[in-house]
Amino acid sequence: MSDQEQDKDPVLSSSLSRPLFIWSALLLLSLGWGLWDEIYGTRPWKSYQAQFAKVYTAYLRRVRPHEAGFEKEIRASADYRKLDSEMQAAEKTVSAQVAEIDRKVNQELVPRILALNDPFQEVRGHIGALTYQIETTDSESSKNSKRQEIAKLRQEKHSIKLPGDEKPEEMDFGLMDKTLQDMKNEKAQLLQQRVEILKPATELRAQREKYVSDRIADVSADTLTGLITKMQDFDIHIRQIHIKDVELVDRCESCHLGTREPVTLTKADIGSEVFVSHPNKELLKIHDPEKFGCTPCHGGNGAAEDSVLKAHGRHKFWLWPLHYRENFEAGCQQCHVKEIVTEMADTLNSGREIFRRRGCMGCHRYEGFDREPDEMTTVTQQIRQLEQQKAEWTREIGFTTDKADKTRSNEEAQRLYQHANDLKVRITGLDAKIEQADIRSSDLIREVKKVGPSLKEVRMKMRKEWIPVWLEDPHKWRPGTKMPTFRLDPEEIRQIGAFIWQSGVTGNLPSQAKGDPVKGKEAFETRGCMACHSMGEGNERQGGDFAANLSRVGEKDNYDYIVRWIHNPRERTLPYCPFERRDLTAEDYKKKGLPFVFDMDHDKCPNDGHELQVEQMTPMPSLRLSIDEARDIASYLMTRKHDNVTYAAADYLDDPQLKSKGQFLVRYYGCAGCHEISGLEEELRIGTELTKEGSKPLERLDFALLGHEAEDQGWYTHKGFFEHKLQNPAVYDTGKEKPNKFDRLKMPNFNLSKPEIDQVATFLLGSVDSTMPERYHFDPADQRQDIIDGWWVVRKYNCMGCHQVHIGQTTVFMVLPRYQDPDWKDQKPPSLIGEGARVNPQWLMRFLTNPSLSDTDANRDGVRQYLKARMPTFYFSSGEIQKLVRFFAAMSSQAAPYIAPKMEMVSDQERTMARQLFSSEGAPCLKCHMTGDPKHDARATAPSFLIARERLKPGWTERWIVHPEMMQPGTAMPSGLFRRDGERWVFAGPTPPSFQTYARDHADLLVRYMFQFTPEELNRLRASAGAGAGR
Amino acid sequence: MKSIFVSVVAASALFVAGCGGSKAPETAKEESAAPAAAAPAIDEANAATVTGKVSFTGDKPTMRNIDMSANPKCALAHAGAAQKSEEVVVNGNGTLKNVFVWIKAGVPDRQWPVPGTPVELAQKGCMYGPHVIGVQAGQDIKIVNDDPTNHNIHPLPKINQEWNESQPPNGDPKLKKFAREEVMIAVKCNVHPWMRSYIGVVNHPFFAVTGDDGTFSIKGLPPGKYTIEAWHEKYGTQDVEITVGAKESKTQDFDSAQMKSS
Repeated sequence: MSDQEQDKDPVLSSSLSRPLFIWSALLLLSLGWGLWDEIYGTRPWKSYQAQFAKVYTAYLRRVRPHEAGFEKEIRASADYRKLDSEMQAAEKTVSAQVAEIDRKVNQELVPRILALNDPFQEVRGHIGALTYQIETTDSESSKNSKRQEIAKLRQEKHSIKLPGDEKPEEMDFGLMDKTLQDMKNEKAQLLQQRVEILKPATELRAQREKYVSDRIADVSADTLTGLITKMQDFDIHIRQIHIKDVELVDRCESCHLGTREPVTLTKADIGSEVFVSHPNKELLKIHDPEKFGCTPCHGGNGAAEDSVLKAHGRHKFWLWPLHYRENFEAGCQQCHVKEIVTEMADTLNSGREIFRRRGCMGCHRYEGFDREPDEMTTVTQQIRQLEQQKAEWTREIGFTTDKADKTRSNEEAQRLYQHANDLKVRITGLDAKIEQADIRSSDLIREVKKVGPSLKEVRMKMRKEWIPVWLEDPHKWRPGTKMPTFRLDPEEIRQIGAFIWQSGVTGNLPSQAKGDPVKGKEAFETRGCMACHSMGEGNERQGGDFAANLSRVGEKDNYDYIVRWIHNPRERTLPYCPFERRDLTAEDYKKKGLPFVFDMDHDKCPNDGHELQVEQMTPMPSLRLSIDEARDIASYLMTRKHDNVTYAAADYLDDPQLKSKGQFLVRYYGCAGCHEISGLEEELRIGTELTKEGSKPLERLDFALLGHEAEDQGWYTHKGFFEHKLQNPAVYDTGKEKPNKFDRLKMPNFNLSKPEIDQVATFLLGSVDSTMPERYHFDPADQRQDIIDGWWVVRKYNCMGCHQVHIGQTTVFMVLPRYQDPDWKDQKPPSLIGEGARVNPQWLMRFLTNPSLSDTDANRDGVRQYLKARMPTFYFSSGEIQKLVRFFAAMSSQAAPYIAPKMEMVSDQERTMARQLFSSEGAPCLKCHMTGDPKHDARATAPSFLIARERLKPGWTERWIVHPEMMQPGTAMPSGLFRRDGERWVFAGPTPPSFQTYARDHADLLVRYMFQFTPEELNRLRASAGAGAGR
Repeated sequence: MKSIFVSVVAASALFVAGCGGSKAPETAKEESAAPAAAAPAIDEANAATVTGKVSFTGDKPTMRNIDMSANPKCALAHAGAAQKSEEVVVNGNGTLKNVFVWIKAGVPDRQWPVPGTPVELAQKGCMYGPHVIGVQAGQDIKIVNDDPTNHNIHPLPKINQEWNESQPPNGDPKLKKFAREEVMIAVKCNVHPWMRSYIGVVNHPFFAVTGDDGTFSIKGLPPGKYTIEAWHEKYGTQDVEITVGAKESKTQDFDSAQMKSS
């Protein structure tokens, strides 16, 4: 044994089974893991799909009985049973006829047709074959023999016994053809007859089915059953949308399986957010995922499917991460870039509006925003080019004529003269083009507005001591104001204040008598001021946020100036000449022997003839108030102040030494982006352009020392950058050593709330180089373009403060407490939904230019004189009016230009009838509509019929009088004035006897009468209607 | 070896995580879509009653005469004496008329049977009558025009749906109802701006309007703790907590001086 022990052979004696076992176990494990990873690990969507199949089926099974019960209830209702029995009865009355037809068709005709068809086809086939041989044979004799063969075939008789016949009939080919055709025609006729007979029953059946489907909100029990069956065959596989020409592959629906299910699934329904339905089906209908995919709107990596993180693209290697819920609408800007208002994107629209209204665009260029200066450059350039072209052509005319005069050949001379003449005509075309460009250019001077007030006027308008207080922190003095907080040290405040104060202009400001603040308060609250301005602080705050909160105006402003401002906010102290780059004074006019008058009609520079800026660059309109009312309102505003506030004297503002330093700072901080400032009128923007900020590479966004912190805390993203910057614009200076204050970040703090930050961040996140090809971009060539353009004007002047412009929108008036009172409800400015269908665009143009519709009495509203609130004069440019008119036409799908339909004249008899109806006790028209009688009109709630013809469109007018409650639920115009009588509308109340024999439409009669209304007619009505005229 | 081990561990971790992630979500609780419990009759045997009056404190305001000259047909109806505004009507006994008293909170949440008879709102002499009415949600309001002139009935609800319908002289009565509880809905006539009425719409039958003696009585109340509110168009509301036992009769008075405008 010891030998053996000595010769121990390792091969024989030592066992490797242990390591082998361990290794093979490991191998097996890793094989298992590999397999698992292959099947599930890198395919998490599989478990999602399995889970979906389970929970969705369970959900469907759960709701089906409920839905079925609900439908059963509907089917048990009396209405349904009535429809059902009517349908059954209708079917029954015709059932015998139908059965007879069915019998005839199925048992007689069809077997006969089939029986005859075979022999007929056989002969026809034979003839066809011979015909082909004739066509392909060259030999004429062979052709002839075939022709004879065909003739023989045609004449050959066949003995055919058709089912139902007693004995066989001898038929040649022609007879067979005819018999067959006759039978087929008879069959078609019978079937058509069957449809006709069944028509009433079929219609009733459709009505019955509609009765059920009208009462089912989402899907029917049948659909549910269908879905359950579908889910039984649910197959686990990748679900992808592939759009070839965009090279887009989106596999989002491999996990998000409920997105497009016909049943609306919520988290509560199905227990998981992953499977919920798309929340906006309408949106999805416009943007069909089969055409648009998912990621173009939502972001994320649509092709990735091996982890949620990768698919959502929320890591630093994917440039377009999935948008977070609060920023969803950022995606709209892939294609909707030219808009200020995008439908169904409220967050984005708010972000854009903040960018515009709060003055972000004063420092940051953004394509499309504040475009007037850019357009001005383009137009000026265009005019120059056109004038050059004109000069060239004029020269060419000279050369050509000269050459023609000297040429030998008459033909050549004539050709050259013709060319010269053509050029002359083309030059007149250039003149027309130049004229348009000139109009545009003077329009643009009117259209340029500034976000903040003109600082040229401070000496006229302000108390000096207030300026430093404001500069230090505007939000402390007036929370929520547009003006942001700059991080200024006391010295900077002194210098900036001194520059602003000393650069202010002075001029003539008449001293005003005191007004009545009580009346002024009433006027302020009812004339329409509060559609833009708010009053009251904290919880007391009421009114719009488009313009300043006026709660402390009395502490800072000069009464005389405020009177002038309210009376006409566009009135300037001095006109500005963009060519000379300075404000003109009375001296300039005196030198030229001209009176110092500058306004819309006197807008040329006396020195050089250039277009002047004669208006304040504010969107604030004129309410056309009397000077007395302006004084009342100003007096009221002057009472608006905090008690016992003192302001430190600020005589240093007059120190000329501070001024030049101040000018440097004003320029450095970019104040001229939002304010008109003497000497800085033509300043350029100081900030970064933000048009494509959202697709700037992340490493180019300067997180400074916060980069690591941002990565650790998960906000090293565009979203994180924007949000932190907006919340605290100085945040990326944190920890930086910047002894020179001019190295520091200078963006001021807008004190935005969290929702506002989300809105602006959404806007910026979406400001990207689109990944979608051009043809996806929303740049319509039809009326929708007018809508895009119009929204810019609507937003610019805050039309929506007073008017409902689109469905679902709230105006300021709708929420002001005063207007909740039943007596005040009808005092709200009118809704403009459907305005394009309502008014004649020519009239609208006139109204927008001069809302008083009067050359002599400006102190009124042209349409609704009974409203305390009044449509103000915005001094729109012609371009803006065109845009607005087109906008309303497009919003109501109206063709442009408008051609008024021809109206049938009312006959004398009809006029008498309409007159009788209008003045009868049963028709209240003249009780609410204005008549021109001041006592009556003081209580009127609707416009005068006198303006109907010019203002309204007849089609709309008829729809309105018949169903006002459809157009404007809650309107003062009562519904139910007409009832349907067969094919016509008849007046619902008692009608004068003359109507009894009148067979035509009453609504149509009244509309025609209204459109042929004259002042004389109105007088006559007032005289005869004792009731309405209020004598 | 180590790396494999790590992968294996990681894989199993993933697996566990995966399992966790794919755990079937808790199925949403079966919604007890029980049809509204069969309308219960009021338990007459145990029902309590709350009665009381609404007194008026202070100087009796003089109501303005309504000027109906704009519509002679209306003026004619009041040829004898001018119609006073009904904004505040103080009864001879020093109580306040047209106060809507209702149980604002505490009523068991169930379907109360809706009375089949409509409440009438008349237009007579170009005035609404009664000035204040109460109805149950879903109960018909029968609107009658007894005048020889056209009226339009324009309720201005904030919760219910708004409408505005014309009613010709002596026209057919209109039957209208409001689906949701709302106290109060103002009603006006655009043709005759002085006309005003208020409708209180309540989910249950426990409401009353004070009449010429300023009293009200709410019967059939199940025992319990309630908030009872008195509403007046000018003086506002007064809320009182009240507890009633079975078959108890309780008195609860209100006073115009205690009312607050909201």
